[in-house]
Amino acid sequence: MEGSSDVDDLEAWLKEGYPQSVRTAYLILGNRSDAEDAVQEAFLRAWKFRDSLSRESSFKPWIYRVVVNTCNSKLRQEIPHRDRRSSDDDLAEATTGDDVPGRIALAHDVMRALKDLPAHLRVVIVLRYYADLSEREIAVAIDRKQGTVKSRLNEARRRLGEHPALRPETAKDPTSRKEATG
Amino acid sequence: MSMFDEGALIDALSAAANGFEISNDATDRILSEAQASVPAARSFTAPAFLRHPGRARTFVMAAALVVVVSAISLPLLRSEGVQPKTAVEVHGAEARAGSQLSVTGTGFTKTLVQSPRPVSAAASSTSSGSATGLSDSSLSLSPKIESNGSVALTVGVGHVESSLTKLGDLVTSDGGFVLSTKANARTRGSGEFSNGTIVLQVPQRTFATLVTQVQRVGHSRSIVTSSTDVTSQYVDLRARITALEASRRQYLSIMTRATSISDILAVQSQLNVLQSQIEQFQGQMNVLNSETTYGTLTVNLTEAGQPSNVTPHRSGLAKAWHDAVAGFVAGFEWLIRLSGPVLFAVLCLGTLFALGRFVRRAARRRRI
Repeated sequence: MEGSSDVDDLEAWLKEGYPQSVRTAYLILGNRSDAEDAVQEAFLRAWKFRDSLSRESSFKPWIYRVVVNTCNSKLRQEIPHRDRRSSDDDLAEATTGDDVPGRIALAHDVMRALKDLPAHLRVVIVLRYYADLSEREIAVAIDRKQGTVKSRLNEARRRLGEHPALRPETAKDPTSRKEATG
Repeated sequence: MSMFDEGALIDALSAAANGFEISNDATDRILSEAQASVPAARSFTAPAFLRHPGRARTFVMAAALVVVVSAISLPLLRSEGVQPKTAVEVHGAEARAGSQLSVTGTGFTKTLVQSPRPVSAAASSTSSGSATGLSDSSLSLSPKIESNGSVALTVGVGHVESSLTKLGDLVTSDGGFVLSTKANARTRGSGEFSNGTIVLQVPQRTFATLVTQVQRVGHSRSIVTSSTDVTSQYVDLRARITALEASRRQYLSIMTRATSISDILAVQSQLNVLQSQIEQFQGQMNVLNSETTYGTLTVNLTEAGQPSNVTPHRSGLAKAWHDAVAGFVAGFEWLIRLSGPVLFAVLCLGTLFALGRFVRRAARRRRI
């Protein structure tokens, strides 16, 4: 009986956080199937170690911590040892929707800029600007101090600012962005 | 201030992340896998105190503290505990000063607590090659112990002479005698003594009693006692004498068979040499006998308020300088003595710290 109620908990978690977690993992890993694998593994691990949730302040940073750890583990162990499917393929699927071409081009550029970032900087940028976590929540999610989060965010912003696709003058103007990215 | 357009980044991230649909198949798969692993998931349980990082940290810290305190205190306690075993025993409020003032250099060679060792046949055989002629009584010889000591006492003003008399009475009642007495007058021509020294000899069995009784005569500033086991020397001397006596008996029998004057003279000469050696060893044995029969206790008496009769008088500046040097040396010794336990503690802490970091990292990796 206890087992079934626990599985109900997991179902609630999945409803609440699965889609957002997959998309976050996709931004970190740059590949949809890797992201789905990572999130599946992360939710199972989170559910297995659900006792530790009681010590956390809230569910959101906690589940992001599990997702980030799983993504980091994949980046360290699995992904470097095989040919990665390009994120551009996933984005190609995205272009079949009703998005405007300029938005899709910007998404391409951002994904490329993210890929150029080291993983630890990519994670904080994604958690801050996509998952909309505060610096404190990011600190919980990556199990580091808030000061570390701040310095990583600053470093990531600096590097992204140097990227041609995200310079303020090019970001506003799709034409100049295309020229900048070549 | 950010160096890029944050709005554009947020839009782009949303566009990139939301560009594909997420099916429900994956969540169903997760649920079914979780359902299948329910017993396995519950089977993992860490010890209760480790499930709470705060408690685990406290436990590790407490263990580290115990190790550090033990590492520092045990060697210090042990070094303190060694002191009573040495030949020098110091008591009294002015013990430190007393120990410097009253040691009279009477050859303290053995530790006080050394137990007299019984003389075995092996010891007898190694003492001399000529020990074969030892009688059975020599094998069961009781230990021969020399005891010496020195006590520094402070007595009331005008009580030096009466204290000397009292000490003489004490030693007489214990079956001993006064070997020598020396007293110094307070001022030239005055009949009163400010300090004095008396050397007492008392049978070995009452030496410890005498030391206790002497302390009651005044306020004891220091006590120094020592014992030396001379049994092996005693056995060696006895063996040599026995061997020489056997040789003398042989020569005496030769003498009875000698016919010519020259033979008699030659044997007589050898007998003289042997006799001389026997008497020499006998003399040494008598000295040992005397020293082991009686213990010697030197008592230094000083009137209250008077400088000790042993210590040279120092002016204020000289005393301050002497104290400073002594303090410096004592501090240096203390630092050297402490460096060992501190180094050990640092090594322990370093190891614990490294271990703690390793465990913490491993726990963090495994936790989720």
